[in-house]
Amino acid sequence: MSSPAGVQARDEEPPNPGRLQLTLFVSGASPASSRAVRRLRDLCDQHFPSGYDLEIVDIYQQPEMVASRGVLAVPTLIKELPLPVRVLIGDFTDEARVLAALGLPHRRTAKS
Amino acid sequence: MVTSNNVHDPAGRSGLELPKSPTGITGFDEVSKGGLPTGRPTLVSGPPGAGKSLFALQFLVHGATGCAEPGVFLSFEGTRDKLASDVRGLGIDLDALEQEGRLLVDAQSMAGQAVATGEFDLEALMVRMAFAVDKIGAKRVAIDSLESLFAAFGSRPEVVRSELLRLFSWLEDRGLTAVITGERAEDTLIRHGMEEFLSDCVVLLDHRVVDEVATRRLRILKYRGSTHGRNEYPFLIGPAGLEVLPITSLGLYQQVSNDRLSTGITGLDEMLGGLGVFRGSSVLVSGTSGTGKTTIGASFASAACQRGERVLFFSFEESQSEILRNMASVSLDLAGWVDRGLLHFQCQRPTTLGLEDHLANMRRLVDRIAPTLVVIDPVSSLSRGTSKGDVSAMLTRQIYYLKSAGITAVMTSLTEGGNDLEHTELSISSLVDTWLLAITMQNSGERNRGLYVLKSRGMAHSNQIREFLLSSEGVSLVPVYMGPDGVLTGSARAAAEAAEADLGLGAEQESSQLTEAMDLRKKAVEKRVASTWAEFEAAESLTAQRITASKKRAEALRAARLEQARQRTDKPKDAQ
Repeated sequence: MSSPAGVQARDEEPPNPGRLQLTLFVSGASPASSRAVRRLRDLCDQHFPSGYDLEIVDIYQQPEMVASRGVLAVPTLIKELPLPVRVLIGDFTDEARVLAALGLPHRRTAKS
Repeated sequence: MVTSNNVHDPAGRSGLELPKSPTGITGFDEVSKGGLPTGRPTLVSGPPGAGKSLFALQFLVHGATGCAEPGVFLSFEGTRDKLASDVRGLGIDLDALEQEGRLLVDAQSMAGQAVATGEFDLEALMVRMAFAVDKIGAKRVAIDSLESLFAAFGSRPEVVRSELLRLFSWLEDRGLTAVITGERAEDTLIRHGMEEFLSDCVVLLDHRVVDEVATRRLRILKYRGSTHGRNEYPFLIGPAGLEVLPITSLGLYQQVSNDRLSTGITGLDEMLGGLGVFRGSSVLVSGTSGTGKTTIGASFASAACQRGERVLFFSFEESQSEILRNMASVSLDLAGWVDRGLLHFQCQRPTTLGLEDHLANMRRLVDRIAPTLVVIDPVSSLSRGTSKGDVSAMLTRQIYYLKSAGITAVMTSLTEGGNDLEHTELSISSLVDTWLLAITMQNSGERNRGLYVLKSRGMAHSNQIREFLLSSEGVSLVPVYMGPDGVLTGSARAAAEAAEADLGLGAEQESSQLTEAMDLRKKAVEKRVASTWAEFEAAESLTAQRITASKKRAEALRAARLEQARQRTDKPKDAQ
């Protein structure tokens, strides 16, 4: 199967290469998962005002996808686009690292 | 599954023995008395390249193909394709097994390090495992390896640890027999302190390179609730995957033969009770260099060929043509036997292969050629490039293997100069049935070969040291001269024998003189006895005469008186 950083072919139209495409793996509707989703959305809303796509995968519902994407930890966030693909694990409490991984320099976020 | 082999279980608690799942790994199931503990996790620990993944995979494949137990392989050591191609060479077809639903491989590479942004757990790992297990109804699982997991989530080892414990207890709850691989650290079984949680069964694999020759080792460190072989067992990765070569699990059940084989050297047969060695026994010929060890081996081979038997000759120092030429110089025509297909040579430098490979190679050849006699010349050179303990372990296995097959083994061993002769460096002397010691004896400016039987089980054997003569007429053993000056050989023996002959002549003369003297004395005695007799006889006859005379006198007196009386009563004739 593919590496965790493997690029998955998308069914949809070729997306805008500059637009942020994210896949988030969470474990059901646990309070921790809900908290992580909320924190990620807040961050993205704040720093990517031009918009982003976020697909949320419940590992219990789609175990095959968990395996095919090589996900072991939850929450796991895969930044599909723009390239390079990055994998983030954790509940996004370390905002600076999240933003850096998503391609947003930390100092710019500090300004806003 | 549960073996009835109670060799290491004197209490014979077979009824209480743990249920076990066979691994299908040759030798391992013997050592572990049936396999891994069913329904429990087993830790397989070792350095990189030790064969941990293969162990895990073989365990699963055997379950899938031999025990109707589907298996899940969760690997973080590389992609599925890489794994499939790695094991294809060992005859394992992952694709087919997966299509049949007997195996599920969930493999990925942990190359990319993920960015940690906060709290996480490994619930997805649980989900993947549960999903795979449920999908094919798995009874066995393998996780390869813990190290990769810890490496991938290096920022939070405590999380990985607690999550793994959760996984292990889940596996146990589901009654899954699991193999978990881990890398061995310096002083602990595996890193990250996982060993305390995986203590049901721990198997250590080791991979050492000694003098450029690789040797692999396996040891069962613990096995809770079960007896097991506790030694270090060499193993190899052969055409059929892992092969453990246990020594101690070899039973001493070989059938023995009373059939005796000639050694090909008349004098030597004489020393061995006149009949030679037992068929299927093992013979060790040891000695310093130039003592004729190879020649003795070749004599054995030649004698076997003469009987029409097949012989396999392993040579680790000389090539076939060298041996043929050298043996022809002592009238051993081995080339003829080679031509007739009775004698097979396998000449190989000991360092061309690892020790285990040599063993496997030997076994393959023995199986193919089916000889009745195997010559290994010399076993000592196998220890080049590896430790002596390894060689003796290997030889032990080889000896038992040959014995169990009823094949006579003749091994030569070089004793390094300065070492005690009656000591094999490889400590195999106690395993062999017959031990011939080839020695050199030096005196009078000569160096002569000698041979004696140090031991020979189950037969009367000579205690003599004989001189071992190699000449263009052949190989022979002659009794050496044992005199007050010790053992003499060569020209010294001849000289001593001549001196003894002289001495013998003198003794003969002396004894004849003594006999003569004694004869004379005897005659003298006889004479004295005769004269004493004569004296006695004379006295006796004199006495008899006297008695007769006295009787006559008495008679005459009485007659005279009667006459007187008669004259007086008739008429007096004369007046008085």
